[in-house]
Amino acid sequence: MSKFYAQGSGSESSGSSSEDDDNEAPVPSKPIPAGKQTVYISDDDEEDSGKRVVRSAKEKRYEEMLGHVKKIKNFKKNNDMSNILDCFEDLIKAHQKALPVIVKEENGSTPLFYLKTLGQMENYVNQQWENKKNMSKINSKCLATLRQKLRKYNKDFEEELLKYRDNPELLDDDDDDLEEKQEARDESGSESEGEKKEKKLKKPSTKKPKDDNESDDSIDWGSDSDESSSSSDEDYADIRSKFLKKTTDKDDAKEKKKADRDKRMQRKKLAKDDDLDDGEGWSVVTGGAQVERPKMFPKDSEINTPAVIKKLAEITAIRGKKGTDRREQIDLLNELETIASAHALGPAVQVKIGFAIVAALFDYSLKVHELQKVQYWIKLIDKINELLNLAIAHKDMKIDENVPEDSEEMEKSPYRVRSCLMTVFERMDEEFLKVLKELDSHSFEYVERVQDERRICEMLERLLTYIISNHLAEDKGIMCRAYYKKIEHMYYKFDVRVLKKKRGEYNGETSVDEMQRLAGYIYAFDTTDRLRTRSILCHIYHHALHDNWFEARDLILMSHLQEVIQHSDPTTQIMYNRAMVQLGICAFRHESVLDSHNCLADLMMSGRVKELLAQGLMPQHRHDRSPEQEKIERSRQVPFHMQLSLDVIECVYLVSAMLIEVPYIAEHEFDAKRRPISKTFYHQLRTLEKQSLTGPAESMREHVVASARHMKKGDWRKCYNALVNEKMDRKVWHYFAIYEYTKDEKQFGVKEMLRRKIREESLRTYLFTYSNVYDSVSIPRLAEMYEMEFQQVHSVVAKMIINQELAASMDEPTKTVVLHRTEPTRLQCMLLQLSDKVNILRETSDRTFETKLQGGPGTMGPGSKGRQFNRMDWKNRRPNQPRGDHHNRGDRDHNRGGDRDHNRGDRNRGDREHNNRDRENQREVVAH
Amino acid sequence: MAHRHIRRNEFNCPFDYVQIDGLAVMKIIKHCYEERTNIDTPRGGILGLVIENRLEITNTFAFPFTKAGEESVDEEYTATMMMHMKKINQDYLHVGWYQACELGAFVTSEFVLAQHGYQDSIEESIVIIYDPVRTAKGFLTLKAYRLTPAALKLLADGNENTITPEFVKSLHLSYDKLFHEVPIMIRNSPLANALCCQLLEMKPERATQFLDLGTGSVLQNHMKFMLEKVDEVHQESYKMNKWQMQVSKQQQEKAKYIHQKNLENAARQTKGDPALPEEDLSKIFRPILPPTRLTPMLLSGQVDLASQQINAFCSQALAKLFLSESLAQTNCETSN
Repeated sequence: MSKFYAQGSGSESSGSSSEDDDNEAPVPSKPIPAGKQTVYISDDDEEDSGKRVVRSAKEKRYEEMLGHVKKIKNFKKNNDMSNILDCFEDLIKAHQKALPVIVKEENGSTPLFYLKTLGQMENYVNQQWENKKNMSKINSKCLATLRQKLRKYNKDFEEELLKYRDNPELLDDDDDDLEEKQEARDESGSESEGEKKEKKLKKPSTKKPKDDNESDDSIDWGSDSDESSSSSDEDYADIRSKFLKKTTDKDDAKEKKKADRDKRMQRKKLAKDDDLDDGEGWSVVTGGAQVERPKMFPKDSEINTPAVIKKLAEITAIRGKKGTDRREQIDLLNELETIASAHALGPAVQVKIGFAIVAALFDYSLKVHELQKVQYWIKLIDKINELLNLAIAHKDMKIDENVPEDSEEMEKSPYRVRSCLMTVFERMDEEFLKVLKELDSHSFEYVERVQDERRICEMLERLLTYIISNHLAEDKGIMCRAYYKKIEHMYYKFDVRVLKKKRGEYNGETSVDEMQRLAGYIYAFDTTDRLRTRSILCHIYHHALHDNWFEARDLILMSHLQEVIQHSDPTTQIMYNRAMVQLGICAFRHESVLDSHNCLADLMMSGRVKELLAQGLMPQHRHDRSPEQEKIERSRQVPFHMQLSLDVIECVYLVSAMLIEVPYIAEHEFDAKRRPISKTFYHQLRTLEKQSLTGPAESMREHVVASARHMKKGDWRKCYNALVNEKMDRKVWHYFAIYEYTKDEKQFGVKEMLRRKIREESLRTYLFTYSNVYDSVSIPRLAEMYEMEFQQVHSVVAKMIINQELAASMDEPTKTVVLHRTEPTRLQCMLLQLSDKVNILRETSDRTFETKLQGGPGTMGPGSKGRQFNRMDWKNRRPNQPRGDHHNRGDRDHNRGGDRDHNRGDRNRGDREHNNRDRENQREVVAH
Repeated sequence: MAHRHIRRNEFNCPFDYVQIDGLAVMKIIKHCYEERTNIDTPRGGILGLVIENRLEITNTFAFPFTKAGEESVDEEYTATMMMHMKKINQDYLHVGWYQACELGAFVTSEFVLAQHGYQDSIEESIVIIYDPVRTAKGFLTLKAYRLTPAALKLLADGNENTITPEFVKSLHLSYDKLFHEVPIMIRNSPLANALCCQLLEMKPERATQFLDLGTGSVLQNHMKFMLEKVDEVHQESYKMNKWQMQVSKQQQEKAKYIHQKNLENAARQTKGDPALPEEDLSKIFRPILPPTRLTPMLLSGQVDLASQQINAFCSQALAKLFLSESLAQTNCETSN
């Protein structure tokens, strides 16, 4: 705003500056990235005049006031009273501020336009007052206030106003003049018109902003932004005016103008998007950025490499300073690049500028709004691609970060540029992930962006060839980084060829081989531990993904990562978790249920799988997490296309837990010391068993638990059907479909594995649960029941006998298992358990009494009183105690003896019962 | 009367024994049988009169089932029922209630509070516990219980939190003193007795059911129950233990604090400074709320009852075993 007025209304300004300012007015010096260099170049026959203007304090004040006047005019048109009132107040304030200046410059006479406005206002208000009835309530209220204020205020200017009132033509004239010019301007928009108007001093200038306002931006022109901008103008005005004086440089006008033109084109395109940024842009620009905005080359100066480089340094020097407008930087750099390419300064310069632009883009992306990220991302990837092309095309160029700054060679071959493509690429990759995270993972946009992945991979491929063909190949660090990037882009992708190769259907290089090669290089040459760790994890993941269970397992065992992983950074830990999950699932496919369970147990036990895999935040932890922390956590999230299915993980975990836990429960049915192997699964099972009514299974968990219940009874068929059915196919098992195959009419795959495993474990459960009702079991009969081979059943039973899980022996001739029946009966087991429990209870109670003896609580407080009382009590009671309990010290405190007493009684009784029961059991046996 | 006075002194019970009519018994059994599938335990009111040293129960009526959270016994319903009974010239005085229950599981806080309410409003109130499981096995099990005066005092506040260890102790109360059992006598009209005699004659001579040796399942049920309850008692006891630890720890801290303060005060005195201001110790060391003692007491009571039942059952079973053994031997000998 203010800048515009400064130039527009300044009587000293040369005419043509108006053009610039006009274009700029709504968004005065907001920089816009200039994308279209062609436009820019074709534009150089413009007149050279857009020079900077030195503004006096007077102008500044005036222009401020004019702004308000203009606004009032606008609002008058819509009869928006409340806004008029606001503006009027602002205007008064502005006038107040301008007063010293006015006194100084115009000998205290109120400026003409101000008086005019007041007069017009008065007329207008009076006029409106008459049809006040037609107005809305708010409007009429405001009108009343305005009227009052105006009257009061105008009293101060009574005399002067009178003068003008006597001469109303003057006012009218002005108005007419104004409108007329406006029209003319709107139609032609030519510079000459503008020039003319410029010369009209203050009065004409009042209409100009209006013009802009209407033509360009009238809708967006909220009073808020206006006010804020004007206020900031005030703050910075002095600085700026100083600066302007210093830097005024007539010669750079041409360039400047071009840039502005360019901006105008851009702005039209971006108008909508940019609105979001406007506020920011405004204040920043008028602040420090403007101060240091470097100018392009003088018109006539020779444009050569050193000059461009110097310019570049100048521009980049601003980078990172507070208040720098990053967008403007990009613009400037783009301009510079265009100039450079126009003058054919050689690839090195191009590359150098290119790097600067990329850096600026990176900077900018930090601040850019989410919605715009994609736009900038596209720009970024294009730019980097360009850079890469340049680098590859010019073999004689050495791009290296080890080149000292002073030995850079731009002008002649061999070029030397200090920079690093690899770093840039890495940053781009990060940026890519960020862009993906901003997008809704189910939207079409996301899919579109993910397709960029291919482009990135292809770029990476080229970068790799470039590095290898280049001197950089000697730098192992860079090679490692490049390879690691490649691994990172490769490890989570599934390559069908690997499985085909395993079955002998394919011969050739697969991603596993490539992974091996890349990772091998890193293992050999990497000096930073982190890269190696991460590539090991990727490697494990990749192996596990492709069903190479043994390779993956060996790798993790050999790396000893489990021991040190908790000392590494969070992202590496997330990768570790991912690798472990993949490993667990792979183990599951390979029938190593125990391994699978162990791999997943840590993760599942925590109950924060989502967080640990960085696939989303847990809502319930939100309250104890600060926003910053949340932001960090959010930034760690794995993009959607790389995420693992939580359902599959949980299902695999639960199923493997079931296969371990159910036989274990059956074996230790009456073991008081039994601990659940998998608490999660145990809990699920318990909750379901507690339900009085169980409906058909719906969720994945319910399916698993239902199948566990069948397994408990040894019913393998129902168990299998509960686990593998259509619903579960859709939910979980289809993820494994890719690993299934048929060979020699035999099926291989997860379902087959499950079928086998369930039979086996059901058999074990059955033997554990029902062995007490058998004297002997026929193995062929078992084989028939479980549809297993005789040999298999034999081996399972033999294993159980050897492990002393089953007290039995094999009778080979009759093919039966003879049970020894040494196991206690169920009742006996229960009794044993009870006596265990009573013992534990006794211990706890003993402890309670010991505490009490030491004067603890429950003895009427500390000190001797309570104890004395106890003793007396004890003495009194003693004779009444028919049975002496010698080891029962606590008995003196008889009143508290509630649980104590019963405990003792219980124990005695329990023992007695025990004896009874034992005797009875003997009888029973006899009776049998 | 003198006899009655003695009774009154011990348990404050206005009668010596309960005399229950056959009709009332049958009605209880019928009601409980019909409602056995319901998850809620069947309950009902009993009507009768105290005459001399006995409580005569002549009739009962069932309580309707109430949903959780509602007042368990509808006052209006009871009042109307009593009115109707009065109209048809029956005993109409409400003297307590009955409840069906297996094993010793009836001793819950809900039960205790309900009985407390009864005894609070109607002094002679009694609760009759009927065990349908054992009855089905052939042992009619009816028990009449009343809360002891100490237990009444304990529950007087109706707030579980006030039942602190100290309070329990001051009442000299333990789990086996919450209730006292009142003997029950079933009385039939002469006509009914005559019928019974007739039925006895018609009964087949050989009754095998008394030698039923299938004790395993019953014992297993008992054991399951015991296991559960002992576990719960243990948990309660553990809670108590923990509380004790906390309190003693706090006391230590308190003592330490006082000691330090005293030292400081002494030091100040020698210097001539004024002593530190008195602070409210109870604010610094908030007393830790002790766990309620009602739950463990009731649980212990349950375990106690269950043990008694097992004892009774086992003695019966043992007798049967010996009997069947000798019977088997004689059978062998005769066949030989």
